[in-house]
Amino acid sequence: MLAVVLVAAAAAAVTIGAVHVPLGTVLEAISGRAEDGPLKEIILQLRIPRVVEALVVGAALGVAGVLLQGSLGNPLASPDIVGITGGAAFGAILILLAFPEKVALMPVGALITGAAAGALVLTIAWTGPNRGATARLVLAGVAVSALFTAATTSVMVAFSDRVQSALLWMAGGLSSEGWQTLRVTWPYFFVGFIIAALLARPLDRLALGDDVAESLGTRPRVLRLASMISATLLAAAAAALVGMLGFLGLVIPHMVRLLGGTTRHGYLMVGSALMGAALLTSGDLLARTVLAPIELPVGPFMVVIGVPVFLWLLRGVR
Amino acid sequence: MLEVRGVDVALGGTRILHGADLTAEPGQLVALVGPNGAGKSTLIRAAAGLQPVAAGEVLWNGSDVRTLRGRKLARIRAFVPQRPRVPEGVLVRDAVELGRAPHIPPLRRPTKADREAVERAMERAGCAEFADRRLSTLSGGELQRVQIAVALAQATPALLADEPTAALDLGATSSIAQLLRDLADGGMTVVVVLHDLALAAAIADEVVVVSEGRTVARGAPTDVLTPRRLAEVWHVDADLAHGGHGRTALHVSWLGARPVVDDRPSAREPDPDPDPDPDPVSATECKR
Repeated sequence: MLAVVLVAAAAAAVTIGAVHVPLGTVLEAISGRAEDGPLKEIILQLRIPRVVEALVVGAALGVAGVLLQGSLGNPLASPDIVGITGGAAFGAILILLAFPEKVALMPVGALITGAAAGALVLTIAWTGPNRGATARLVLAGVAVSALFTAATTSVMVAFSDRVQSALLWMAGGLSSEGWQTLRVTWPYFFVGFIIAALLARPLDRLALGDDVAESLGTRPRVLRLASMISATLLAAAAAALVGMLGFLGLVIPHMVRLLGGTTRHGYLMVGSALMGAALLTSGDLLARTVLAPIELPVGPFMVVIGVPVFLWLLRGVR
Repeated sequence: MLEVRGVDVALGGTRILHGADLTAEPGQLVALVGPNGAGKSTLIRAAAGLQPVAAGEVLWNGSDVRTLRGRKLARIRAFVPQRPRVPEGVLVRDAVELGRAPHIPPLRRPTKADREAVERAMERAGCAEFADRRLSTLSGGELQRVQIAVALAQATPALLADEPTAALDLGATSSIAQLLRDLADGGMTVVVVLHDLALAAAIADEVVVVSEGRTVARGAPTDVLTPRRLAEVWHVDADLAHGGHGRTALHVSWLGARPVVDDRPSAREPDPDPDPDPDPVSATECKR
């Protein structure tokens, strides 16, 4: 069912826009049978890259959420709580503002600082008494996020003349830059998704507790580290593309759990990837059509959808 | 099969085990007994390779447990933890299937043989009737049986269980006791931590007494669980009674005086006629 919604959303997102393109023309353009012209340009260089970006980022955030919630045994874990999103924002904005001529390095910058923030939070949460407890993790995440937000703000104040581009980025928006950003980030997504797929079964074992997982031949610490690395690759690359949408990583796995079925991680990952892709694609479609021809950033739209769902989920949480 | 020699374990700067020893052979059921906090759980976790040791060694079939990590070790011994974690939304059958992990190559699906092993394990552990329920809907006793089923699905020659009967009622305890005994009689090496000394005496071939981080005695239950040792280790006035048909009972003078353990050599001689009547004065003192 999710897959059907996803295909419908992707098809709608390719055809609807400032210029309406019939689906038949889209298929002709993809198969290479269409005549050259502005329509073909719009489809191949603007619409399709944007939809692919939305699909990949949505899927990446969903899977990153599953990885973090599963490996930390904590339903509150998500790329933004663990600090990856805040860290990635700092790296991306630093490059965007301080070295605008090196904008191709933005994903790398986001990745490095995102990973640093994630590592810092895990180190704090996993040392001292009560290690790995929910409260400890969340508080460490909040503290590290605050640290990176302050750093980001400082950079923005220092380069206040160029802050416009940073603001748009932070709001969380899909670009219309064609394939360029995807060309830089795809390796991170690729490796992130591959590692995630390998971790699905070990995470099922970890769900029964560290001792049981280890008794079954899985090393909990190695598994947590691998999950963290994979989630960081996915979430930081996603942040590099669309900005601060880490909230999706928290909400999507819960929505998939609510849909029923088992909570095996293989199912959760596939479900969250589809759900994330469908949500972000349709969210982006709404964002650029509601007030057309003005394009709104997709971030606020996702929050408008995500927050009520999340609050509704919270009813059942003790 | 299992040999633990002179193992020291320190947790957070506190020494939990001092030179603990433990051996177990195929077909043998060994019970670890001792007061709360004596180090039984730490010892069985060290034996399972789940707890790094500071000194001494843990050998499985002559190989050091540190060289056996991962799937190799997972095919030798299964471990049943004391407090299982209960993930929401996981079905009993799916949980038990995780026990097959050491036998399923990465990225492969479970085969028909794996699924049959899962059904057998659930049947043996008595959780087949709730195989399609979610773990989060089970009672403590049912969960404990699922844990044992996971370990049985692992199909290992050795089973280590940390208080597998802790949350069970009388009937469930007795069926688990029977299962453990059957497993040992079938040639498995079984090591269990037990609090119930009467139960340990009934099912174990050997008991190992753990006290203050040391393994202070081992041997047949009747030889080891003497009134003197019960007094020394548990500070109770009690004795173990054996009836016919594998019946055992622990007679405890619950409200009686705590027997004073004197470490002087003269006091170590067995008391020929223990005073059956507790001294009322010291009984009152005991309550304070």
